[in-house]
Amino acid sequence: MAKRGKNRLMVVEEERDLETIDINVNVGPQHPATHGVFRMVLTVSGEKVVDVVPHIGYMHRGAEKLSENADYRQALIFQDRTDYLAQFNCEMCYVMALEKLAGIEVPERAEYIRVILSELNRLTSHYMFAGAFGTDLGVYGTVYTYAFREREFIQEVFEEITGDRMMYGYFRPGGVVWDVPDNFKERVRAVCEKTRIGINDIERLVTGNEIFVARSRDIGVISGEDAIDYGLSGPMLRASGVPVDLRREEPYSIYDRFDFDIPVGERGDSYDRYLVRMEEMRQSLRIIEQALEQMPEGPILPEKLPRRLRLPPGEVYMRTENPRGEYGIYLVSKGGEKPYRLKIRSSCFCNLMALKKMTVGHYVADAVTILGSVDIVLGEVDR
Amino acid sequence: MALEEHAKTPPAVWKPTSAGELREAERLRPVEVIPGKALYRRILPGVIQAPADYILGLSRKSSVWPLTFGLACCAIEMMSSYMSHHDLDRFGIIPWASPRQADVMIISGTVTKKMAPAIKTLYEQMPNPKWVLAMGACATNGGPYTRYDRVVQGVDKIIPVDVYVPGCPPRPEALIEGLIALQNKIMADRKAIG
Amino acid sequence: MSDIDEEKEDKLAGSAPTNGDVFKMLQEDHEAPVSPGTVADTFKEVLPDVTFASAQGALDVILMIAREDVPRVLRAAKDDPRLDFKYLRCLSGVDHMERGLEIVYQLYSYTHKHSVTLKVRLPQEDPHIASVTSIWRGADWHEREAAEMFGIVFEGHPNLVPLLLPDDMTDHHPLRKDNPLAQIEEWQGVRLGEDVVNVGHIPAGYEELAAKSAGDGEEGKE
Repeated sequence: MAKRGKNRLMVVEEERDLETIDINVNVGPQHPATHGVFRMVLTVSGEKVVDVVPHIGYMHRGAEKLSENADYRQALIFQDRTDYLAQFNCEMCYVMALEKLAGIEVPERAEYIRVILSELNRLTSHYMFAGAFGTDLGVYGTVYTYAFREREFIQEVFEEITGDRMMYGYFRPGGVVWDVPDNFKERVRAVCEKTRIGINDIERLVTGNEIFVARSRDIGVISGEDAIDYGLSGPMLRASGVPVDLRREEPYSIYDRFDFDIPVGERGDSYDRYLVRMEEMRQSLRIIEQALEQMPEGPILPEKLPRRLRLPPGEVYMRTENPRGEYGIYLVSKGGEKPYRLKIRSSCFCNLMALKKMTVGHYVADAVTILGSVDIVLGEVDR
Repeated sequence: MALEEHAKTPPAVWKPTSAGELREAERLRPVEVIPGKALYRRILPGVIQAPADYILGLSRKSSVWPLTFGLACCAIEMMSSYMSHHDLDRFGIIPWASPRQADVMIISGTVTKKMAPAIKTLYEQMPNPKWVLAMGACATNGGPYTRYDRVVQGVDKIIPVDVYVPGCPPRPEALIEGLIALQNKIMADRKAIG
Repeated sequence: MSDIDEEKEDKLAGSAPTNGDVFKMLQEDHEAPVSPGTVADTFKEVLPDVTFASAQGALDVILMIAREDVPRVLRAAKDDPRLDFKYLRCLSGVDHMERGLEIVYQLYSYTHKHSVTLKVRLPQEDPHIASVTSIWRGADWHEREAAEMFGIVFEGHPNLVPLLLPDDMTDHHPLRKDNPLAQIEEWQGVRLGEDVVNVGHIPAGYEELAAKSAGDGEEGKE
């Protein structure tokens, strides 16, 4: 078979009947490019990937089983550690599931505080994505350093409010555990200013970069119908052209009071996913500003809240929009202080099912790019 | 049950009986620690040992290269301490991806029984002298997940640990303190390291 | 063990639930009836010969169907244009002990913007159910996880191997209620034959207890 190139002199080869073997390449649990302990076995023919078998479960710690044995206050800590980059969003989903079952009303100020903190957490999570994605593509360390510099500013605000840098445990069913400090609005506004500069820094460095675009454009394409069929959600779904955001579809908390856009991609490739997340950060900043203006004074917990929460029997499936997709908590309660079944529908678990569809046919180096663009957090995949 | 009764009952002992459990118990067997022996100690023992020990100890502690082995949430704080706010490069600590050239393995995160054989393999792949730092509550004794039966209750069940850094997750300052303690330990143990 | 209503336990203990029992169970668990005009009516319109038990949950409408109807109902739920549930959100298993195992499907439609929760109850001795992987490809890993955590067998699943648990330790299913967590707290001192393999760190105050329990062999569960 002769190959011809455009305006170029190419060596014409004849393909003989060579016997080739497809080899298995193990991208093992310890690897600088996998985001945590994830293992995938690539079957490659030459350099093209023919089959991908992901192996997960190396971080399976039994958060669901342990939550069944802990009462509702204690089960909150497992939510922090499930998706350890978007902790407030996970806590929010859990706490709202409890409120829906128990019928607790949340005061206005607490709602606004929750929304502001969740959106700030979305910013930190997308910063981490930008850093890790850049590292996967070869910008070894530079974007990572910028991203972590910005994350630290926001983490300082979290530490002033909740007392912890990472595992907050700040939300309670009914509100938040204590009120924010007095300089909350000034601090958050200052951090938003810094974030704007930070996003611009990263974008100037990375977005128009020729190598970045060449390595991520048309890599890992998945169409809109396939995305819905596989159960994808979040930025992966929006990058494939489906304009769905749970904050608009099924508005929870007070998200229907804010005016923000939903960035939607066109082609469903890795570059679109990156662009969608960058634009989402700007929209989060819009939500934070509007929330800061509208935030009232007032109590942060309802008055008559029992010290030990007992839920009536029933079940609820509460879903929120996490930075990675749709995070759901299916809670079955049979009365009492402990959940009977707490199933965590984690966004990365479902997003990772489409890995084979997206990777087959690309090169080995692209497999790393696609895994980076899915933005997995192993604590959430394995729970 | 109440805390007092709980404290009095002895914990159950895991006795592997079925075939699957025996295979798993074999995989959880701790590594065999093979100490190294340096050339200059073997050739002329005692002759130039003290100054050589001192210089080697000083150079080893000033350039500790950890294996990039982030397991879970503690890995994020470990990465934070590598980055610009709490710089670890000023101590000579650079993350290195290959176990063959790394000095210390920072176990940051929960060790599950599925992951245990991989950790043992990585530990055996590291050449002597090597150290292990258990970061966080999960690596120390199982942490918040200690009661689940697929979690190894602390990484010292399978590999020997030198420094434990408590916290869930420990702050970057705490990790830096742990690494400085490791440096002091390297210097203090310089006569014993091969 | 968590608190369970004692009366409900006695009523249905010791028998595999039939369809009639199962629907009664749904009515007992959720007292709120479904108001007309919701997705439950659309389901009854699309499939008039299938019995649905319906209740109103906290956020969605809950429908319970029999095990044999699962392939038909779920295929109609995805393909029929009035229902159009193209998005399978979640597939979870719940262990209700003697009342059986339950599979819960959470579905959502982007075009009609309605959601529904479908439940199926399986008897404890015979947990087989048809797989929905041929309908939604996103059910693949959910079913694998439910299979290894509860012991449910999904017929027609292309690759039902353990997903999260290591391949060796599939002797028991962790999320079943007969593996109570209180006894799992173990001191991981393992004996292989006669040698103690790894002792690790014995916590303070436990030395005599450790020697005693290692000596006379307290049968511990995993």
